Amino acid sequence: MEKKEPWARVSVVGVLGVLLLSHAAYSTIQYRSLLKITDEQFSGPPINVVMELIAGLVLCMWAALTVPGKFLSILPHSDENRVVALPTNLDFMIFNHRGKAFPLSIDAK
Amino acid sequence: MANLGAPGKTDSDITDELPTFNVENMQNNAKIIYYSRTFMSIIGGVIAGILGFTGLTGFILYFLVMAITSVGLAAKAGFSVHSYFDGWNRIILDGFLGGLLSFVLFWTYPYDVS
Repeated sequence: MEKKEPWARVSVVGVLGVLLLSHAAYSTIQYRSLLKITDEQFSGPPINVVMELIAGLVLCMWAALTVPGKFLSILPHSDENRVVALPTNLDFMIFNHRGKAFPLSIDAK
Repeated sequence: MANLGAPGKTDSDITDELPTFNVENMQNNAKIIYYSRTFMSIIGGVIAGILGFTGLTGFILYFLVMAITSVGLAAKAGFSVHSYFDGWNRIILDGFLGGLLSFVLFWTYPYDVS
């Protein structure tokens, strides 16, 4: 599975949600022009448009939560944050810094 | 590496005073929250415009959508917030008002089409 940046990934659920919202918008525009003909006040779109809006909102909410990516653990000692390889540019690394204040520890797993 | 720390203090005492986090993952998580909130602000704006909300009602819808997004993000983190963020504030309050301007922009688009 190729890894793309979140703004480049598109999900079927998201597209479907946006399509539902566009259709609801189109229906509302038609409804409003109809009201203009009969010269009534626009108090709210018809109930099926409201249902469509709620469905579109739920689908878009699902897409907004799943498409951008997974949360990654920030704990340094968790299983998925294990340091399994040394960097290759060791000659350029400086060790004379504030990290000396941390205690050394043996943490073999 | 042998433990050369000060006598009388165990290793866990010292590291408890200085919490260290994997910064790259923290930034990744913050980025995800930002994208989610921005997208939901836009969607909320479109919905407010379609429903024809004016004035305060629209902003109430914005806060409602943001609150639902907060709950959704907390659920996505499995409600064990401390392994992904350094506090509840990050997931609940961060970026709450950031999408407000996008919301207002998209709110006025469908409202004006009539």
